[in-house]
Amino acid sequence: MTRFYTPNFNGKRALILHRNGESMKRLTRQLERLGMEVTICWPEFPKSDDVYQNGKLIFDIIFVDADNGYDDLFPWLLGAPPVPLIALLGSELPGRLEWAMSQNIVSHISKPIQSSGVFSALVFAVSNFEKMKSEQLHLESLEMVVNSRPAVLRGVSALMKHGDLSESQAFALIRKAAMDNRTSIEKYCLALNADIFDKLLINSANFKNSKKAN
Amino acid sequence: MFGGMMRKEIPLGLLYSVTGTYGAIGRDLLDGALMAIDEINEDESNSISFKTIIGDPGGNIDEYHRMCEDMLRRDKCKQIMGTITSIGRKEVTPIIEKYDALLWYTSPYEGFEVCENIIYTGAAPNQHILPLFEHMFTHFGKNTYLVGSNYVWGWEVNRIARELIAAVDGEVQGEKYLPLDDVDVERIIDEIERKKPDFILNNLVGNSSYAFIRAYYELGKRNSDFLAKTRPIVSCDLTECDLKHIGAEAADGHLSTAVYFEKLNNDLNQTFRNKVTKYFDKNRSISSFLVSGYETVHMISKSISIAQTDEINAVMDALYVCEFETAMGRMKIDSNTNHACLTPLLGRINSNLEFDIIDASKHPIVADPYLINFSAEQFSRRIVTLERQAANDYLKVIK
Repeated sequence: MTRFYTPNFNGKRALILHRNGESMKRLTRQLERLGMEVTICWPEFPKSDDVYQNGKLIFDIIFVDADNGYDDLFPWLLGAPPVPLIALLGSELPGRLEWAMSQNIVSHISKPIQSSGVFSALVFAVSNFEKMKSEQLHLESLEMVVNSRPAVLRGVSALMKHGDLSESQAFALIRKAAMDNRTSIEKYCLALNADIFDKLLINSANFKNSKKAN
Repeated sequence: MFGGMMRKEIPLGLLYSVTGTYGAIGRDLLDGALMAIDEINEDESNSISFKTIIGDPGGNIDEYHRMCEDMLRRDKCKQIMGTITSIGRKEVTPIIEKYDALLWYTSPYEGFEVCENIIYTGAAPNQHILPLFEHMFTHFGKNTYLVGSNYVWGWEVNRIARELIAAVDGEVQGEKYLPLDDVDVERIIDEIERKKPDFILNNLVGNSSYAFIRAYYELGKRNSDFLAKTRPIVSCDLTECDLKHIGAEAADGHLSTAVYFEKLNNDLNQTFRNKVTKYFDKNRSISSFLVSGYETVHMISKSISIAQTDEINAVMDALYVCEFETAMGRMKIDSNTNHACLTPLLGRINSNLEFDIIDASKHPIVADPYLINFSAEQFSRRIVTLERQAANDYLKVIK
């Protein structure tokens, strides 16, 4: 088990996309008690110039009114928030829940906001978001492997022909060269050409000869 | 005075279990509160008097909600003092919020909560376990054995302890839990004998705690590596009200942190001790719980008198601007967190079943219920600084 440290949100920035009122004041107070800086904005996302610095969103976490949220509210592709998104739920209508899920929310708080529930919603949101991100990266790397399969096949069979090698000999050469170049087999195969084949074969022959000499 | 009118009678609910596992603590909290209420009611110059409604859930968690609702609905209480454990507090919180009343919670607890309908007059972790471990790491070592009763207080205080131990590269040499009231402590004692930790953090409560400390004393009799003087048991909630249940020989030398000990040396505490002797009897020991019950009633009284109503928003506004001179020292409630600013002390039990105060925070500490100002690096650096100071002090002594 990895060690669980006390989650600390001191100094983090939160954006609340919700009409301001007593409930949001309560949420703001609770977030400020956790050391967070809070911005409330509604009915639109704040202007880009104000909330992006060097192309990066200045907020660490966003709360959104799931009762009144709409698809064009966010300046990113549907369901691809750059930071954890927490739904503020009053209505439990299936349509509203569907909308919240389509935005890839990672946690929620029921309205009206109470003192309890805010801290745990933040902790779950950050943890789920990180999990989601790392799963996405993992998925992307697997997709890359699958998509590059034709290139690897082409590379291996071309090298077999070029150097009159067996399939396993050709693959072993490519794998070793990819490792030496600190890249994946897939990426290496995308860049293969006849010149590289020659180099590979020469290196391989030298290697074998030096072994024999020993 | 309310325009020279008759004294206004304010209903005040006291919801404490005086039987069951926490009986001793509940008794002290209730006695302290009743003592203050009598004082206020007897003084005709006060603009208010209290009508007391007492509920004793007897340690039965299902009773808290019902008794609290009776106080709120039937007796029209806007102020309720009570609950000892976090489970009890969580049980009444929804109903307190529903009636928009104010709960005055008077026990040290494990933090991670700020409810706007609760005033927390007991210590939060940065006022108990943090200063306690600063002292222990500096004076005894960093290898720690953790024990606790099997519920949220023990789990969470021990979790914070693990984080502090990790911050200074110490070792958690064991972590064991017992069901409430379980006194089967021998396996824990055996493991402690094998592991030889530098000290033991005790988050057991009531009978389990008493049995554990007595068993450790027996261990010390047959193996002198386990004496309170050199390898103590430390607690965050062991007070004067527990000591007679442990016994003088077994308790002698162990340590506890609290925001008050009977021997605290200040004029107000002297006055308070005299009052206690007069109100109860001269043998009555005074714990931080007794003081907490007493001082909290005075805080409620003063705030209501200033607000001229027991409506909670007005009471809180009055409360936030008050400073209270108490037997514990100066107290203030932080309007941001509703928690008390308190001065942590470290006591060592002596052979007369009293705590000698051996260390104290230099100034009152603002509660940090979510530990947002805690950083492992800073804590570790602070320990290094304190170790250097301790080494210098030691050199000064032996010169």
